[in-house]
Amino acid sequence: MLVPPINFSLVVGELYRSGHPIPLNHEFLETLNLKTIIYIGDRSDEENKEYWEWAERQGIRHITAKMASVKEPFMMNDPQVISQCIEHLVRKENYPVLVHSNKGKHRVGVLAGVFRYQLLGWSLSATYDEYMRFAKGKAESDFVFIETFEPDFVLEMRQVPGWLRQSLIEQRKLSSLKRGLLQN
Amino acid sequence: MQEAEIPETGLVNLSDIKSHNIFIPPLNFAPVQRQLYRCGEPTVLNFEFLQLLKIRTVVWLAAEDPKDAFLAFTDNNDISFEHLGILAEGANPWDDITDYTIKAALEILLDKSRYPVMVCCGMGRHRTGTVVGCLRKLQGWSFASLVDEYGRFAGPKGERVSVEMKIEQFDTSVVQVFDPPEWYIKTTS
Repeated sequence: MLVPPINFSLVVGELYRSGHPIPLNHEFLETLNLKTIIYIGDRSDEENKEYWEWAERQGIRHITAKMASVKEPFMMNDPQVISQCIEHLVRKENYPVLVHSNKGKHRVGVLAGVFRYQLLGWSLSATYDEYMRFAKGKAESDFVFIETFEPDFVLEMRQVPGWLRQSLIEQRKLSSLKRGLLQN
Repeated sequence: MQEAEIPETGLVNLSDIKSHNIFIPPLNFAPVQRQLYRCGEPTVLNFEFLQLLKIRTVVWLAAEDPKDAFLAFTDNNDISFEHLGILAEGANPWDDITDYTIKAALEILLDKSRYPVMVCCGMGRHRTGTVVGCLRKLQGWSFASLVDEYGRFAGPKGERVSVEMKIEQFDTSVVQVFDPPEWYIKTTS
């Protein structure tokens, strides 16, 4: 029997999201042929020792992006950590990728939300709806973070995943088309 | 009209190539597997987004007919529209989704030649959730995991136990699989 990690889902292409896997999930994760795991959370590599040993046995590269859980108004999402994660996600050499936090709700929800809205051009309403499907009720300032985050990246174009490239092209086509229609 | 290029190589600042168009996915939209999507009934607002997905088959599970605009969209984009909502003779729109519908839907979802596929019903909650739940069962997911996934799309009133019962009683061995997508082979081998 296959048991995906809590709050597991496909995001786009070969990008998956979830909560923190436990040993029960290993067999399922092995079916995904992951190349990279990005953990966005506060557990140390020492605390994740056995987990990372499993990943290494699978030949999966693991990255820890240290970010504490939001405790408003004094502990907020760290834009630098989110940026650091996205820099890994805009390189196709890293795929398939699993990004996870502890519960797969808030921290990974913010990352997925930024990705949806800021890179893939999703509407905010759909982005928030998706966030809430996982977070089930509590968003605090995460929505504002997603909306106001300014992605400032240098993309190495040869490395950009096909679906992101396609989305950027279509976003561009459509906005110039719409401008054209409204001007004539 | 200047249609700036997105370069193939080199280093580019995202803000220099990012335009501010907005794509609006349909209600309850989510990817299920590679090139397999689920959602509620799309409206005109969603058509630009749907075009990005290059869908070839829509599996329609609601007993009611879809809106004309959506049917026209599928026509104009050469999408084959599979109305599986009512199949059994004498069925009523308020009946639960039948095993015939689930089987027919899964056989399309597991036929590589029909991809990319979008599976939907009115709200993308219960009927779509039933079929996706049965797909997960075929993929060998634990019941707890597939119920959890269904629950995420079930809306504010939450899961219907009748849907969970339906998924649990569905006999996956009746589904005939000939040429499934790559991910299916992977997860069951």
